[in-house]
Amino acid sequence: MSDPLTLAVIILALPLTAAVLAWLCAGNAKLKHYAHVPLVVACGTAAVLSALLLNKMLGAPDKASYVSEPVTWFAAGKLKATFTITVDALSATMLGMVSFIATFIALFSSGYMHGDKGYPRFFAVMGLFVFSMLGLVLANNFFLLILFWEGVGLCSYLLVGYYFEKPSAAAAARKAFLVTRIGDTGLILGTLMVWHLGGWHTDLTAVFEHIAKNPPDTAALTTACLLLFCGAVGKSAQFPLYVWLPDAMEGPTPVSALIHAATMVTAGVYLLARCSPLFVLCPDAQIAVSWIGGITALLAAFIALAQTDLKRVLAYSTVSQLGFMFLALGTGGAISPAFAVTAAMFHLFTHAFFKALLFLASGSVMHAMGGVIDVRQFGGLRKLLPVTHVTFLCGAAALAGLPLLSGFWSKDLILESLVEAGESKRPYSAGYFLLFVVACTAALMTAFYTTRAYLLTFWGPERIPHEAGHHAHESPKVMTVPLMVLAVGAVFAGAALQPFTHWFGDFLGTAPSLAQADRVPGARAVEHHLNWTMMGVSTALALFGVALAAGVYGNGGAEKAPTGLEPVFAASRSKLLVDELYYAVFVKPAEVLAFLARVFDSVLDGFTRVVSSVPRFVAEAVRPIQNGLVQFYALSMALGLMVFLSFVVFKIAR
Amino acid sequence: MTLSLWHFLAVGAAVFGVGLVGFLTRRNLITMFLCAELMLQGVAINLVAFARYHGNLQGQVFVMFILAVAACEAGVALALFLNLYRKRRSLDSSDWQELRELGVPAATDTEPLPKPVVEPDPVLTPAGARPEPTAEEVARV
Repeated sequence: MSDPLTLAVIILALPLTAAVLAWLCAGNAKLKHYAHVPLVVACGTAAVLSALLLNKMLGAPDKASYVSEPVTWFAAGKLKATFTITVDALSATMLGMVSFIATFIALFSSGYMHGDKGYPRFFAVMGLFVFSMLGLVLANNFFLLILFWEGVGLCSYLLVGYYFEKPSAAAAARKAFLVTRIGDTGLILGTLMVWHLGGWHTDLTAVFEHIAKNPPDTAALTTACLLLFCGAVGKSAQFPLYVWLPDAMEGPTPVSALIHAATMVTAGVYLLARCSPLFVLCPDAQIAVSWIGGITALLAAFIALAQTDLKRVLAYSTVSQLGFMFLALGTGGAISPAFAVTAAMFHLFTHAFFKALLFLASGSVMHAMGGVIDVRQFGGLRKLLPVTHVTFLCGAAALAGLPLLSGFWSKDLILESLVEAGESKRPYSAGYFLLFVVACTAALMTAFYTTRAYLLTFWGPERIPHEAGHHAHESPKVMTVPLMVLAVGAVFAGAALQPFTHWFGDFLGTAPSLAQADRVPGARAVEHHLNWTMMGVSTALALFGVALAAGVYGNGGAEKAPTGLEPVFAASRSKLLVDELYYAVFVKPAEVLAFLARVFDSVLDGFTRVVSSVPRFVAEAVRPIQNGLVQFYALSMALGLMVFLSFVVFKIAR
Repeated sequence: MTLSLWHFLAVGAAVFGVGLVGFLTRRNLITMFLCAELMLQGVAINLVAFARYHGNLQGQVFVMFILAVAACEAGVALALFLNLYRKRRSLDSSDWQELRELGVPAATDTEPLPKPVVEPDPVLTPAGARPEPTAEEVARV
């Protein structure tokens, strides 16, 4: 029980048990309404156990990681996949974060999904989702990681398509699955390549050790890293493959919260953080990671500027914030990798709080507004939904990066890592500096669109859509309490953990993979310190964005745009036509190809049908011979024998 | 005139032919079975004749086998006929056409045969029942 590995296994088993129990609840009409209980209890217990685990890890600094005995899963020649898990600072932190956030999302869902006819199904899949994510975090084997990685993808498919009667939800689920699948292909190829380069090992720790001892050809390793990154791009919704995430809004709102905060999109960031010993060896891959992150951060922030769907604004903001995390991850190598990973993971950590909060709060808005989420149709809700209003404000302020809130600290860390990378003597330092400018622009936009969404929802004249009827009211306690808890996290989690005490960074630094990555030569060492210039710049950006948005949208009016920028906002509203472009370039040709294939197939089918009809017609003609009369058969036999014998006698014998 | 092989073969062929014609033309199951036996014996004659002609015993041994098998076969066949008769009260082989192809109509006679008079199966007094005494019967002491 006290062994960290045992604890980790228990934590992993809890949500799975909850999923099975919730599934069993589906069979009973009375138990059906209590399907949320197993999940809430399991996640809560997992969160407590994770806290215990973190405490244990903090209390034993001499032993930084625990790796379980590998149990062979399958082996074929040199390929050997094992079931093995690892508990170190990185995975323990993720465990705690995921289970903590999931607990409150599950609690919120029990109110939000109340009375839905798929209630047990929802909680069963959610339990499976959390289980997959925890497994992904703990996995110490590339193939085990892929297994859980696919499990996460499957659960997101099931949950995004939760309202499967709705064609748009089914399409969104399919899109999410297919788009991430493109990335997954890269991940599998990358894994095989790493297996080849890493001395035919598949255990993460073994691979890292082997590569540290026998550094392979840089070009090959860069390719492997880029392929692994491909998987992260798909799962974490980065630039070419981000289109699935905004569409994933079709699922119930708590699912969005789970996908965006805890379980799904963080997987890519975590993968890169975990594989940092590989990535730091190839600067080319690292700058690519940073550039993809930068492009995504800017592009998604730009699209979020003028969206009218509240959840869609938040979705694009997630894409943008994930871009920030990749920006930071890409600096590892140019600067101390431990610092880079700390910046990314810290942003992931704080982002989980405020993004879960924002989604749940918008879910609460949606609940009150009778399912309407378009900011053009409601406004001025601050009196109607006081708790939601205050908690949303906390989350929005944290996302905008207002000083002293959690988002502010973590974003600062990312900006700082970019500046330090720009000043390093490593290749591409100019690129990192340019990316710093990009990140600042994206941060400014973030402040703007967050404030816009907040003002349009809660300020201006009070408007309620008629779908809400007359039961537009604050959500029940079971929904507001999670909001409050997460709001506290969004406000204080940042300040409490990193900027003054560096607990987070120091603790993460004990992870063996990061310590190993840190030994890369030439990386610029960065001290954890309070960078006052950076704080000034980021405060100015945030305040400027907020002020700009307040000036334009102080009185509501979602269609408005700052004077002189109307065409820019129109472009943003149309999402830069990326979806349309993808449709024209990828989907349409595929549809045409599918149509041609169907035509070709029907031709082939027709041909085989013609061929098969020949024996059928012959059979039709001779079938009456089989009439069941014994004597008729005997006669046929006698005559046949006669013909045969005469042939033998008169033809052959002669 | 000496008996040559040809004489034996002619007899065999004649017996076989009679059997074949009988088998194809008669519909009574027992008659058909007897005809089949005739065909069998026609073949047996051939075998015996050739055994004699070649001066060895192989054909004769073969005939012994045929006789033995025919006896068994007769037992089985007659048992089957008995069961068939119990089902339909008829020995007409064309009464059993169920094994024809689906959708093919059953063959029927253009001039139906006269219905045979069916006598009920003989029955015995149930065993273990007390015999009913009649008035004429002398009471035995």
